[in-house]
Formats: sequence, structure tokens, C-alpha cells
Amino acid sequence: MADSPENRGWIGRIWNAIWTPAVMFSSGFLVLAGFLAGILFWGGFHWTLELTNTEEFCTSCHTMETNLGEYRETIHYNNHSGVRAICSDCHVPHEWNHKIKAKIMAVKDVYHEMVGTISTPEKYEEHRLSMASAVWKKMKASDSRECRNCHNFDYMDFTIQETRAASEHQRAIDNNMTCIDCHQGIAHTLPPNYLETYQEITEELAGEPSGKLQHQVADGSAEIRSFLTDRAE
Amino acid sequence: MLELLGTIGANIISLPGILGLALGMMTRRVWLGALMGGVVGVIETLLFAHWSFANIETIEILIAVVVGLCAGSLGSAIRIKGTTA
Repeated sequence: MADSPENRGWIGRIWNAIWTPAVMFSSGFLVLAGFLAGILFWGGFHWTLELTNTEEFCTSCHTMETNLGEYRETIHYNNHSGVRAICSDCHVPHEWNHKIKAKIMAVKDVYHEMVGTISTPEKYEEHRLSMASAVWKKMKASDSRECRNCHNFDYMDFTIQETRAASEHQRAIDNNMTCIDCHQGIAHTLPPNYLETYQEITEELAGEPSGKLQHQVADGSAEIRSFLTDRAE
Repeated sequence: MLELLGTIGANIISLPGILGLALGMMTRRVWLGALMGGVVGVIETLLFAHWSFANIETIEILIAVVVGLCAGSLGSAIRIKGTTA
């Protein structure tokens, strides 16, 4: 009688208990208990997920110190109104499906922290372009979805913007451009030769061979960045 | 690879995985459970693409449908195993 309940291991006994109809509890009790357990589990899960969106969590790794220092010099960290965009506002989507995908993919950051891929300033600079490219590619593909959680062309009053900003934003609307086309260095220092790399990303995503696509990268990205940085100071 | 794993994981704990499993548990017919899960996969992908097929990548919808099919089938299997009559 090898398969009798007494001879089963603990896994077998648990398995048997799961599939044996409950005799001590009514259906109503089980449904209510399951419902309450579901709320507790889902609330706990979501709460934990939100904790991983905090600035303290994002910058708790040594490798994030450089990013943090650069971000602290920008208008998204310090500005006249006190409204801020923290790491997760730009790097974590709001929609559930995209958010979970981003969280799973962020596991690579833990791996690179442990192996020290960008543990020194030299290594960081070596990887700056590839890290930036990965973010630009995501943002370009999603039409700068995370920027648009706060910024919306429909509600921009061009009459109270700087003349140059207003004309560039109008050009962006006319040419179907997206935020990251001009604001690549909005929160972090730009790597050298970034414009060529960004143009390649644009062409790759459009499925066009190099040179065929209309030049969608703003030539004055550095100017835009310095303007925004000056305003933050 | 990471992109693929992320998409699979996101679908498992999103509508195709959870609602697909729940719908599958409503029937003993595995094909019907799988079908309902697959339909949820299509709807969810469209929902997050703001109801535009132009915003959907083939791999995204494929993964959502496969996860939905698997979750729906698993739900039906649970229904078959978990009911006595």
C-alpha cells in the first residue's frame, strides 16, 4: 500500500489535502475567506511594488549614485514649483502590464550591481551610451509614454512658453515627433556622439535604412538641456 | 531575452493569466477554457495599446494569447480535478 495516505511524504499529504473536498467549512466561508485572503495578498503585493518605486529604493545601490548626482542638477529634481519627477516617474510605466514588464526587466540592474558592471566612474562612462540608448529606444518606441504622464501637448499654453520652446513644440506636433527626440539629456549627462546613436535608433524603429528617414533629432538638444538646467538653478 | 521574460511574466500576473485562469475554472471543457483565456489575451493587448492594432507588436499579442491559452487550460484542469460531481 505504497500510495496509502499514511505512507505519503509531506508533499503528497499537502497535495491530497488540497484536492480533498472540505467537510468542515461551508462554501460561503471558503468564498469569503478566499476573497479576504485575495484582498490581503493583492494589497500587500501592490504595496510592495510601490515601495520599489520610491527614490530611496532606486538610489540605494552604489551604482545609482552617478545617476542621482546628475539628476539632482536638473529641473526635474529642483524647481520653482516644488513639483518633482522621481526615478520611477520617468522609468516605470503606470499601466499594469507595462509596469510589471519593466519591474521584471529591472532585475538586470541587481545583477549588474552585484557583478560591478558600472562600479567605477570609468566603467560608468564606458557604458553610458549603451545605457542611454536602451532608455531612448524604449521611450521612442512608446512615444515617450512616461513623459506624457505629466506633459501633454493638448494642455501646453505656447503663449506663455519661451519663444524658442513654443516654436520647437509646434514643430514637434507638426512633424509627429516625440518628447525624447529633443530631450535626450533631460535628467542625465549625455554621452559623446549621442546624436548619431539616437538617429540610428530612430531609423531602426522606423524600419528605414540609414539616411532615408527625415532627420527627427533636434540639433539643439544640448541647448535645450542647458536651458532647463539653468532654470533649475 | 529579458524583454521576452518580462512580457511573459507581465502577462502571467495580468489579465491573461489571472482572468484566463478564473474563466477556465468556470468550465470542464479544456478547449473552451483555453479559448476564453486566448480571447482575454487579445483583449488585454488591445486595451493596453489603446484599441489600435497599429500599436501592437506581433510578439506581444502572441505571448498574451499563449499565456491566456495556458491559463485557461490550467483553469479547466483545476475545475476537473477539484470537483467531485
